[in-house]
Amino acid sequence: MHSLIQLSIVVLLLPLLSFVILIFFNRRLPRRGDFIGVGILGTAFAISAYIFWSVIVQTYDPAFRIAWDFTWIDLGNVPGVGPLQIKMGIVIDNLTAIMLAMVTLISLLVHLYSTGYMAGDKNYGRYFAFLGIFTFSMLGIVLSDNLFAIYIFWELVGLSSYLLIGFFFEKQSAADAQKKAFLANRVGDIGMWLGILILYSQFHTFSFEQIYANLAAGKFGLSHGWLTAAGILLFMGCVGKSAQFPLHVWLPDAMEGPTPVSALIHAATMVAAGVYFVARIFVLLTPDALHVIAFTGACTAFMAATIAITQNDIKRVLAYSTVSQLGYMVLGLGVGAYSAALFHLVTHAFFKACLFLGSGAIIHAMHHEQDMRWMGDLRKKMPWTFATFTLATLALAGLPLTSGFMSKDAILAGAIGFAKVEGGGIYYLIPVLGFFSAMLTAFYMGRQIWLVFFGESRTHLKPADDHHQDHHAHASHDAHSDDHHEEHGVHEVSWNMRAPLVILAALSIFFVYSPDPLDGGKGWFMKMIQTPATVVGEANHQIGDLRTASVTSALAEVVPAVEAPAVEAGAHGEAQKGGHGEAQKGAHTYSDVRQAEIVHAGHAAHFTAIYISSIMVLLGITLAFVVYVFNIIDPEKTAIAIRPLYLFSLNKWYWDEIYEATFIKGSMLIANILSWFDTHIVDGIVNGVATLVRKFAYLNDGFDRNIVDGMVNFTAFTVNTTGAMLRKLQTGKVQTYVVMLLLAVFGYFVFYLTRLIY
Amino acid sequence: MLSLIVFLPIIAGLVILAVPSSQKQIIRIVSLLAALAQGVLAVLIWRGYDPALPGITAGPGGSPLGSFQFVEKIPWISLHLGGFGSLNIEYFLGVDGISITMVILTALISAIGVLSSWTIQKQVKGYFILYNLLASAMMGCFVALDFFLFYVFWEVMLLPMYFLIGIWGGPNREYAAIKFFLYTLFGSVFMLLVMIGLYFSVLDPVTGNHTFSLVAMATQSNYIKDAILGPDNVFWRYVAFIVLFIGFAIKVPMFPFHTWLPDAHVEAPTPISVILAGVLLKLGTYGMIRINFPLFPEVFHAGMYVIGIFGAINIIYGAFCALAQKDLKKMVAYSSISHMGYVLLGLSAGNSEGMVGALYQMFNHGTITAMLFLLVGVIYDRAHTRQIEKFGGLASYMPVYAAVVTVAWFASLGLPGLSGFISEAFVFVGAFSSVTTRPIAMVSVLGIVFGAAYLLWSLQRMFLGQRKQDAAYDLVVGEDGHEHIHFHDWHGKLDLDGRELAMLVPLVVITIFLGIYPMPVLGMITTSINKLVQVLSPVVLSQM
Repeated sequence: MHSLIQLSIVVLLLPLLSFVILIFFNRRLPRRGDFIGVGILGTAFAISAYIFWSVIVQTYDPAFRIAWDFTWIDLGNVPGVGPLQIKMGIVIDNLTAIMLAMVTLISLLVHLYSTGYMAGDKNYGRYFAFLGIFTFSMLGIVLSDNLFAIYIFWELVGLSSYLLIGFFFEKQSAADAQKKAFLANRVGDIGMWLGILILYSQFHTFSFEQIYANLAAGKFGLSHGWLTAAGILLFMGCVGKSAQFPLHVWLPDAMEGPTPVSALIHAATMVAAGVYFVARIFVLLTPDALHVIAFTGACTAFMAATIAITQNDIKRVLAYSTVSQLGYMVLGLGVGAYSAALFHLVTHAFFKACLFLGSGAIIHAMHHEQDMRWMGDLRKKMPWTFATFTLATLALAGLPLTSGFMSKDAILAGAIGFAKVEGGGIYYLIPVLGFFSAMLTAFYMGRQIWLVFFGESRTHLKPADDHHQDHHAHASHDAHSDDHHEEHGVHEVSWNMRAPLVILAALSIFFVYSPDPLDGGKGWFMKMIQTPATVVGEANHQIGDLRTASVTSALAEVVPAVEAPAVEAGAHGEAQKGGHGEAQKGAHTYSDVRQAEIVHAGHAAHFTAIYISSIMVLLGITLAFVVYVFNIIDPEKTAIAIRPLYLFSLNKWYWDEIYEATFIKGSMLIANILSWFDTHIVDGIVNGVATLVRKFAYLNDGFDRNIVDGMVNFTAFTVNTTGAMLRKLQTGKVQTYVVMLLLAVFGYFVFYLTRLIY
Repeated sequence: MLSLIVFLPIIAGLVILAVPSSQKQIIRIVSLLAALAQGVLAVLIWRGYDPALPGITAGPGGSPLGSFQFVEKIPWISLHLGGFGSLNIEYFLGVDGISITMVILTALISAIGVLSSWTIQKQVKGYFILYNLLASAMMGCFVALDFFLFYVFWEVMLLPMYFLIGIWGGPNREYAAIKFFLYTLFGSVFMLLVMIGLYFSVLDPVTGNHTFSLVAMATQSNYIKDAILGPDNVFWRYVAFIVLFIGFAIKVPMFPFHTWLPDAHVEAPTPISVILAGVLLKLGTYGMIRINFPLFPEVFHAGMYVIGIFGAINIIYGAFCALAQKDLKKMVAYSSISHMGYVLLGLSAGNSEGMVGALYQMFNHGTITAMLFLLVGVIYDRAHTRQIEKFGGLASYMPVYAAVVTVAWFASLGLPGLSGFISEAFVFVGAFSSVTTRPIAMVSVLGIVFGAAYLLWSLQRMFLGQRKQDAAYDLVVGEDGHEHIHFHDWHGKLDLDGRELAMLVPLVVITIFLGIYPMPVLGMITTSINKLVQVLSPVVLSQM
């Protein structure tokens, strides 16, 4: 076993250990054992950092990959298949190493932050236990080498998410939200499960490597449509977990959980697991499946952005922004901008975690006030929070010199390239929606910064009854047991909450990822994470010159088409080289040609994307300034002027209401109908049969009594009557007997004489 | 060994007979000791079991014992019937991979049932005598390899069950008891007819006599070609399969023969519900695997699709009905129907993955549902009601209970890491891999969502949120200033007490362990299942 594998197993099991210790013993430990959680995560991060160092920095090989597995279930010599084993295993490649370090780092920071944020909660120890099992499950997803294991950990992160969303389970809204999250995820999961079943039914294995080898060898026994279906079904898992349209509804409600949990699970790691999973299965996605993915991502990015602009709850804005950004990542994968999407996953994880933890600091300082309308002027009181929050906001909005700028533009460039390669038309909708969402992002984040940190403090403006109502009905503020509303001033948070903010904000700056602030492609990330060669396509079995020829001709077609915007940039040569390099390396199939074209076109569109998106971002920020800083446009009057649109956005496109009216009401209706059917029809028949049998028994009884027994009684009666009549003959007098004897003798004579005569 | 494990409870019952009925504690302890001894024997059998031997049919060279283990075989009833030849009934016990897991499950659930019966106060002596009789009969069913002996155990089981529900049950107990009794009896009448038909169709290859041996019956070469159920008599073989299937399906219970189950569960006392759901339901599917399918493999093959559809109906219909229930125990009863549907679906796949999943699901459903019914009993003991609406916010006041309920509920909804997941997963893997049942599997996955829906919804209504206005308990502020709850007429511990933990913790541990590492159970059953799949496969059938 490779030493890195051993270390990764240690990393995987450490958080589980933390869970086991804390769930059983937290009440017996000092400080409820929070130091165990933090300490264990610190160790896990240190080991992960070492793995990251060995893999990314020292090896620096895009094709790095080590794997190890063991037999988990042995089904013996299965008829028709032969010896069949279900294996479990670990794979470490560049993506794993990066994810491992990212997950453990953010988890560590959230653990640390929570020691401040959750202090005094009555279930403080249990909280850290749940964080432990979450981190374990998340690392499981990252490390697994097969679909079955991913599915297992996939559901387990769902469980930890369920437990943590409902951490304040006394609140009805939290209990509702956790159930909703679990069920929405399960809907996605059954799709994912069916996708896994399609692949298993063909190859009798869950292992990625073997499935891909079999696919590449053209051994898929079903039609191409089934393969596309498998891809889309597997993607459904991502739709659930990464809150893509139409299953996005659970994520905003998940903000009922404690804010550090929102940062860790519902912004940085778990929700990104969907994107990670699609990346893992990227090579088996057919072009049709990729189109579905791209459009889903684009719609999600746009829809969530339109909702975010009207929300008043500080966490809800961030939640919809998360949905929107996840949409970007999914869009990126769909258009084939594989490395860009994963790049965005990582950059987003850091700046969004920073934003959530920042909002947590604000909520903490504001005594659980989450409504931005009653905030304002916090920049002076909370300078650290303000600085880090602003930096992360810039990254989210995608301003130059930030990490978000590089990753988002790489995705958008890929989208432009994709639209070009696919022949324009409807496919341009994807980059258009992407750019428009970028503008909306800049707008709502500008609005948020302004409402929270600038202007006048509006705490006193909050209506008293609203405050009251807030406590019972309104969404998500963390109710601590020590939730007493003393009127002492707002202040900066303590060091254990500040340090994570600073670290995460620092990780949102460009130089962490690339020396050139305008081009992520020059950084280590994009070099280490390269689009893998696809294993599907109609021309799978065509080999030799034909393949190379088609690639060259395809590239020849593409290059002139995309040259124009790229020429000015000067980086064109390098982009083209990169495109060629990858195209040649992965040049196996028709799909590979397509993939190469897209990557190439994406590189070419790099600067186009930068220009457009910068303009859009500036537009968005300007608009935010115009509305909220200069007050040129009054937001309230505008809201009235476009009331239907405003309400449409405020009410989240009414998805919750639609689902309530259709699926939930529908399910309950079916349930009640079937239950009625069960008691009245099915059981009715049973009872009816029983009644019939009883009725028949009565009839039978009547027959028995009157006919059968009647005959018996009639016989008896006859005998009886006869007897009674005959009895009269038995008088006991000798004279009578003599007379009867004589009569008999006489009778006999008469009879005998009659016989003689005739 | 097997005789001992079968008759131990009856011996205990005889001992109890001698104990005066006022000595309740002694009666309980005798029962518990018998159950524990049964458990020890089960462990010994488990340790001594060789998983490499397949069982199922006659062994190599047509050996009448097959490759069964712990075999006991002696002539039992031998009658000379003149022209009919002789009636040969054997006392024939043995285990293979199919039955070994059920033997272990039965021993486990019987012991937990005894613990759960501790609170029975009414006619303790009579109760435990009947209970022990039931425990013996169940065990006997799983190890009997002579059809006649199986039938005897099957019928003996009915009687104590009838009285246990009918005397110690809830308000509507007589209706439920008679419904259970008549329904099952209805099924076993058919079984009797098929059994006699089979007897006259099968010859023991060694003695040349007719035989009731299931091992001989499972080997198609032992059939007389033109006998009533011989291979030539296709029509009667179909009829026999169907009526036998219905007999077992009633026990499963399969839609539309399931309505006795919710009634029986709602009325039965907690330990009897545990036995009923934990062991008795498995007898239905066990009978299918042991008798129905290998004796009529070609009919099974023709009917896989239909069985699969009934499995899917059970899964989805059961889940929807559970969603609509207001009584917690009734909800759990319907969840049983849903989960037994997975067993049917897995069996209908006819491949190793599906059948391994089905058998494993039988084991897991036994442990998980036992847990669910025990937990329902815990709250019913305290609150004297099972209406879900009468609770709320219990997690704040009974944290240990809430934690165990959470584990059990999540096990039931098939959470990975808990045993139920693996069996359901294999059922789906098998059903999807078989081209015949693939469309059925695609529909059945809906059960995963609705299963989660009713379980999470009930969990939320009972345990999360706040106490409801008309809750079945009062809120009191204790001396330490914390809020507590108080049930009327309950003087025991509020949260789980020692006895309740002793019943639940082993089940929780088993559920988690077998969810992480299923091989201890799967290792025993795979060889037999692979053999069974071979026996049932069309390739083998065509060579017959």
